[in-house]
Amino acid sequence: MISKKLFGITDFTLLLFVMIISVFGLVLLYSATNQDIDIVIRQGTKLSFCFVIMLLIGSLDSNKLRLITPYLYTICLLLLVMTLFWGHDTKGAKRWIVFFGFSFQVSEIFKIIIPLTLAWFLSYSDYNEIDLKKLFVSFIIIFLPLVFILKQPDLGTSAIILTCGLITIFLAGIGYIYMCSLLGLFLIVTPLMWKFFLLPYQKVRILTLIDPNTDPLGSGYHIIQSKIAVGSGGFFGKGFLNGTQSQLEFLPERGTDFIFSVFAEEFGFLGVVILLLLYLVIVIRCLHITSRAKNYFSRLVSGSITTIFILLIITNISMTVGLLPVVGVTLPLLSLGGSSLLSIFMAFGIMLSINRRN
Amino acid sequence: MGKSFIDFNKVNTERLFKNRLLILITTLSLLAILLIIRLYYLQVISYVQYDTLSAANHIKYIQTTPRRGIIYDRNGKVLADNSSLYSIEINLEEVRSIRNVVKAVDLEIGLTNLEIKNFYKKIKKYSHHNSIILKTNLTEIEVAKILSIRYKFDGLDVKGSLLRQYPYKEITHHILGYVGYIDKKDLFSLDKKKYENAKYIGKNGVEKYYENQLYGTPGYKHVEINARGRQLRDIDEKFPVAGEDLYLTIDIELQEFMFSKLSKYVGSSIAINPKNGEVLGMISAPAIDPNNRLWKYDIDEDQIKKLKSPMFNRAINGLYSPGSTIKPIVALDGLYHKTINPLDEVYAGPFFQLPTSSRRFRDWKPKGHGLVDLEKAIVQSCDVYFYMLANNLGIEKIGKFLKYFSFGEKTGIDMPFESSGVVPSNEWKLEHIGHKWTDGDTVITGIGQGYFLSTPLQLAYATSIIANKGKLIVPKLNKNLEIKKEKKIKEKENFLTNEINIEDWDIIREAMFKVVNQNNGTAYWATKNKKNNIAGKTGTVQVYSLSQDTDTREEEDVPKHLKDHSLYIGFAPKDNPEIVIATVIENVGSGSAFAAPISNQIINYYLEKVRGKID
Repeated sequence: MISKKLFGITDFTLLLFVMIISVFGLVLLYSATNQDIDIVIRQGTKLSFCFVIMLLIGSLDSNKLRLITPYLYTICLLLLVMTLFWGHDTKGAKRWIVFFGFSFQVSEIFKIIIPLTLAWFLSYSDYNEIDLKKLFVSFIIIFLPLVFILKQPDLGTSAIILTCGLITIFLAGIGYIYMCSLLGLFLIVTPLMWKFFLLPYQKVRILTLIDPNTDPLGSGYHIIQSKIAVGSGGFFGKGFLNGTQSQLEFLPERGTDFIFSVFAEEFGFLGVVILLLLYLVIVIRCLHITSRAKNYFSRLVSGSITTIFILLIITNISMTVGLLPVVGVTLPLLSLGGSSLLSIFMAFGIMLSINRRN
Repeated sequence: MGKSFIDFNKVNTERLFKNRLLILITTLSLLAILLIIRLYYLQVISYVQYDTLSAANHIKYIQTTPRRGIIYDRNGKVLADNSSLYSIEINLEEVRSIRNVVKAVDLEIGLTNLEIKNFYKKIKKYSHHNSIILKTNLTEIEVAKILSIRYKFDGLDVKGSLLRQYPYKEITHHILGYVGYIDKKDLFSLDKKKYENAKYIGKNGVEKYYENQLYGTPGYKHVEINARGRQLRDIDEKFPVAGEDLYLTIDIELQEFMFSKLSKYVGSSIAINPKNGEVLGMISAPAIDPNNRLWKYDIDEDQIKKLKSPMFNRAINGLYSPGSTIKPIVALDGLYHKTINPLDEVYAGPFFQLPTSSRRFRDWKPKGHGLVDLEKAIVQSCDVYFYMLANNLGIEKIGKFLKYFSFGEKTGIDMPFESSGVVPSNEWKLEHIGHKWTDGDTVITGIGQGYFLSTPLQLAYATSIIANKGKLIVPKLNKNLEIKKEKKIKEKENFLTNEINIEDWDIIREAMFKVVNQNNGTAYWATKNKKNNIAGKTGTVQVYSLSQDTDTREEEDVPKHLKDHSLYIGFAPKDNPEIVIATVIENVGSGSAFAAPISNQIINYYLEKVRGKID
């Protein structure tokens, strides 16, 4: 037991299921990339790297984790600023920074860093009532990185990070009066944002969600093709490597945003249910860890991570079946890309770390 | 106290946290259930709909065009064939910038200005085609060069196809017609399902008439395509069924001989076997080489302008006054109505005059023929004799009789666009000219002039009826075609074989024999080889009537386009005819000088050189 804890293996079931889904993710990626083994190997390398990071964080005491949190926040914020200046340009957005040949999307990490920092800040004093001052500082913690991410511009990730932050504040026990005022503020700000802040392509994305057929070859194409892929999978699926939508490249962004469509096409409704059950096991283990968390910080962090994990899955799948706009949210543990993988494995590392104290 | 406060607070926040977590997890669970319902709806309930959409995405139906049937002459010589060749095709739906593709192709293999110009013309004219041919008949090197740049341009492709070829070129032009690019007019009449991927269709001649038989049945292929439209593999395939081959009645050897005789003139000549209606040869001059037309798609306008309407099939569309070639039939009409006694001699002076008019209807022989009986009138082609006969018969009897010989209506040959000619009457003239019929009109109809118009094919058909002593056998080009005799034709045949005395038939046939074989016959000197017992009749049709009294110009001085048409009909051997012929040569001079010698050479050539090989 002690040796296990030394290597950060504090919850074997959680670890096992995370690995089952991740390794299956590599297999799925092989199909999604038209059997490009090079991409799979690269992703496998990243996966191993993230696995090590997870175990390293898992072997930390959660108190130490709490101590390094402000430094982590500061470092990531600096990286974000660097991205804005030396970032890698793709499709008109500067989202990537290159490290030793690996490109890295710093904004992804903030999905975890924001809840972590908020938990650090909110659990600083034993007096836990959230007053206006605390709320103000919390929003500064959220909006400092958000401004830079919006500037990239990346509306989807910004919205997700904001939601992550709000989840932590909600869990911390914010009063209902504040909540209602925030909601009121949101209702006032949103139309103004639409008018002054959103770029045309972002508006189009939201509009095509409402009716994808208005622009079947442009923005609507993604959603239409994804729905066809999912729907034509049927109950049993077309079989591994037999998905015509994905193999013949009708489905766009197969490795990243639409990896779920590839899966649903090839493994059908049956496969989808099994996948969701696998995710459910992880969620249950996380809830278990959360319920046993010994202090306020741990509770807040593990509760937030669990909720965010579920939220990301639901958001991504809703995107692929046309219930949400294509906002660029990846499917945890399955989507191609190192940044989202790193942030999700960091999250599980934190869960393992919190579990040490239980 | 403080400690207990903190403890209380701790318990309180823990409960608050758990409440909040419960709220979130419940909300998310509800959303998850909603999502699963959505997935169930997409994958299980709407499966069929999405499966269809998916199939439509990646499976493409391609129709494969059948090989067109080959056309042979009566002896199995190939008249129309398919040769494979490679063409650069540009798919208008896939191409991004036509201009760039054309530029790239030009850079790679070089295009002539004409090719580029024609290509853009074709895009406009044939916008209903998916792909347009930029250049055809590529060499192997050109094919390789284009294939090497193909990947750079969507919609650029090299395709192998079958191209129609006519080895006898202009010699068979008017019989075969030609196939051409399907144009917008064709779209109205063709079966779009059957011609989905076809580029060509029969435009004229036999190619058009037998389009259905020659075209065949298209096959299809289902191919898998990827998102960029590249074809990846065939899923299933049904092979097309090639078009049926067609055997014509034409003897290409005779056809070549006829063409060699007529090619320097403007005119037409048709040879038919009267026993079965088989057309042995059919010429309309001038003609063009339809191969050229195909390769360039568009007509080489200059070439066509140089010739005198070469696209016009004179054999079935050319309307000519039959002239004196009609005299045997008018004579037969006279015999039938007993208007004349064949042995009665009549004085025929230099002209004929109606009692009520001062107009002189002159004979071609300025001094007149003197005393003539029926036979002499035919042999020497005495105009005055027939002026009188026509005047005595009247237009109604003449018109009715001409119709028994199928003048004024289509012969029913298996060719498209046949003209029916004109057998005039009082009603006809009122309707078309706006004047009442006059006796003068009747008089000139008696020598095949005036409003009476016939196609060369009709003349040949009528001649075959004379050769068969009243039996009507519809001319045909398809050797395997069996023509059922229509009621109308049976009625005519009944009249001609039962109502007309066999002796009367013999009288006019004997007269026609003497036209060629008696030294005062109009075709006597024109026919050197008299071994084959040819019977015939010459005709000379005035295009420009030299003013009856005042114009003293000789024929040679008349400008070319005003010169007489030269006509001739004939059959041989007289007692058991195996070939009939009708020839019209425009603007050359008399029938005895041009049409007669050529026709009789053709008859002799057929009977001596060609016939032995048949049967």
